[in-house]
Amino acid sequence: MPHVVTGNCLGCRYTECVSVCPVECFHFDDTMNYIDPDVCIDCGGCIPACPVNAIYDSYNLPEEEMRWEAINQERSKELPVLSAPIDPLPGADEKKRELGL
Amino acid sequence: MKSKTVIGACPQDCPDTCSMLVKVENDRVVSVRGNPEQPFTAGRLCAKVNNYQDRVYSEDRVLHPLRRTGPKGSGKFERISWDQALEEITERWKQLIAEHGASCILPYSYLGTQGIINGLNVGDPFFNRLGATISERSFCDSGSSTAYEMTIGHTAGTDPESFTRSKYIILWACNPLSTNSHHWPFIDKARKSGAKLVVIDPYRSRTARLADWHLAIQPGTDGALALAMINVIINEGLIDRDYIDRYTLGFEELRERVQQYPPAKVAEITGIPCDDIVQLAREYASTSPAVIRIGVALERHAGGGQAVRSISCLPALIGAWRQPGGGLLQLSIWPFPVNWGHLMRPEFIGGSPCVRNVWQLGQTLTESRDNDAGNRTSIKSLFVYNSNPVIMVPEQERVIRGLEREDLFTVVSDHFVTDTAIYADIVLPATTQVEQEDIMFSWGHLYLSYNNRSIDPLGEAVSNTELFRRLAKSMNFEDPYFYRSDEQMILEAVDWDSPLLKHTSLEELKQEGFVRLGLPKPDEYAPHAQGNFPTPSGKCEFRSTIAEQGNFVIPLFRQGYAGQQLGDSVDPLPHYIEPVQSQQATPELFAKYPLKILSPKSHTFISSSFGNLTQQMRQAGEQHVILNPVDAQSRNIQEGEIVTVSSPVGSYQAISRISEDILPGVVVSPVGYWRFSSQFTSTVQAVNPSKFADLGAAPTFSDVLVQVEATNLE
Repeated sequence: MPHVVTGNCLGCRYTECVSVCPVECFHFDDTMNYIDPDVCIDCGGCIPACPVNAIYDSYNLPEEEMRWEAINQERSKELPVLSAPIDPLPGADEKKRELGL
Repeated sequence: MKSKTVIGACPQDCPDTCSMLVKVENDRVVSVRGNPEQPFTAGRLCAKVNNYQDRVYSEDRVLHPLRRTGPKGSGKFERISWDQALEEITERWKQLIAEHGASCILPYSYLGTQGIINGLNVGDPFFNRLGATISERSFCDSGSSTAYEMTIGHTAGTDPESFTRSKYIILWACNPLSTNSHHWPFIDKARKSGAKLVVIDPYRSRTARLADWHLAIQPGTDGALALAMINVIINEGLIDRDYIDRYTLGFEELRERVQQYPPAKVAEITGIPCDDIVQLAREYASTSPAVIRIGVALERHAGGGQAVRSISCLPALIGAWRQPGGGLLQLSIWPFPVNWGHLMRPEFIGGSPCVRNVWQLGQTLTESRDNDAGNRTSIKSLFVYNSNPVIMVPEQERVIRGLEREDLFTVVSDHFVTDTAIYADIVLPATTQVEQEDIMFSWGHLYLSYNNRSIDPLGEAVSNTELFRRLAKSMNFEDPYFYRSDEQMILEAVDWDSPLLKHTSLEELKQEGFVRLGLPKPDEYAPHAQGNFPTPSGKCEFRSTIAEQGNFVIPLFRQGYAGQQLGDSVDPLPHYIEPVQSQQATPELFAKYPLKILSPKSHTFISSSFGNLTQQMRQAGEQHVILNPVDAQSRNIQEGEIVTVSSPVGSYQAISRISEDILPGVVVSPVGYWRFSSQFTSTVQAVNPSKFADLGAAPTFSDVLVQVEATNLE
């Protein structure tokens, strides 16, 4: 299982990750982004790009975030691919501040 | 807390040589990430290196010299001091030299670390001065390098960054998403600007899945496909006559030669329909700029060298070199102004040395041969660094038999007690990249890189440069050359006065971590728009003028030594050489072993590096073999079953995976898995033979027949 988007993305959906992703592995819905594990090549470029530290190498995924592996796997298959960055969700900056970031 | 970020460079044997930011807290490396400032590697690393700190601090690191205390291979070692280790090694060598001559010592290394001062050539001056047997390291791209030299010379070829301008891209026998992933965004950008991406590969790799057109070719038949493309291009008048007249040699002979390869005949050979071959040739010739990226896999069959020769002729025929983004990319290493001779010191070689090829280690260690002076010699001591031959070299069981010899004195310098090091008499602790300083070339982009040291060496680990300083001192070498500091070696490693480096300095390079060679910008760089091929004629040589000297391995891969080459005769015109193992060529073998096997590099290992680390192993799973459903069904093999893969050379066990990603009659089993980390013992190199391809002593790992059977577990 490669890289995983976790809960910090919920309500933010910044798409800096999409700008650096070389393989278009990000998918999205109205709440957040998801990584297609079969497409991700594990380049790691999205981790420092994410303004809210939502992305982990699954190898380093904290225990409490483990459930996101299955969610990314499942949701990415159902949703459209993000080929280019889009606007963050309304309230994204506020949530980022709440996260102390 | 003391925190700093150091600019390093990835040391692995990969074309990408990433600029790497190493985060250090309280003198401990806590993370690495890609340097976003580097235009080619652009802030990304990869599945192998993302958690490099785990390699550095692995509890399995060798941090002190070790001496064997049990039988060879038992893994029983005791800690000794560096002084004891050096004394034991050099005393033993002095005795062996007195008794058998220095040629009984064989150095064995490659690119476990790829830095210019710690990598390929770091031990060459020492062993050349010692008079040891020359190690002919035709591990990778050697066949291609010979073919290149015979055709277009040692050129960088097309700038990988110029691919953004390409309109027709052929990735031939390469899978950049796994083995050259930082090149992919340039290819992807071209696609988004309308380029067509064609992938030629027997296996539907990660990259092939993203191609506009995937041509699943029969293994070992690439040369025939290229010759059929030339046939169509010439016969249909799709050539650039002006370019051919000005900048090529031997066109009429090539025209005549390729009449032997009509598309209908080549369709039978390659398994690619005739119409597809014609379409490929027409599209390639009529879409400009067109570029071909060839992978190392191309050389790994009986006719690999001639396949590279044939493909290297294509861009000149259609004048693809005229524009940036057109041409051919194989190895971008050649323009780097590295002082190769000063790194290798071939003039230290005295008289007529013995030469042994690295791929034939099993044979070298298990039989004695006559040297040039007519004396029967055999290797009595093996010195391994930067490599793990048990995993990466064919005839795995025979290599182990050799390493088990009681009379063989083996020294291994490594980060870990590898599958090779476990047979050593002495194991020496080597530094990882964050513990050493180096300057780096690349064979996949045009940036010189610098690796600043981030932390002090752990334990008693030493860099390869320090290792050879210590060995030289113990051997009482007097030449001050052997005692230069790393700083001095780095200063002398490249030609700072070269026009390609005049715009920079060592100080600037240390600070930035990378610098693009002083070449035109990627959008403007067309190195062979007006010929200028580094060949004897200055032209693209369809008819090679140097073929008459016979087959050879370039001296860079032979410690600088140019003598005692293979020398077998080479047809100066490109031609197709059939696989040596096939239904037609070896019907009796085929009756027992009807499947062709490919053993590509894994997505998460670099050769065998990282094959012992948790993260990479978790992703790579067990040593597996991929079969087409047709072949699985006919053998009653289910997904996930333990199967036995065998050839006349040997056998190993693997987990079956069943997929239509591979053609019927072909199986895929990635290399790099360690025997230690496997639930079985042997890995894929157990079935591969040590036979050479036609040029440059390349291996023939894509020209092997095997059988796969369900394993009887009783």
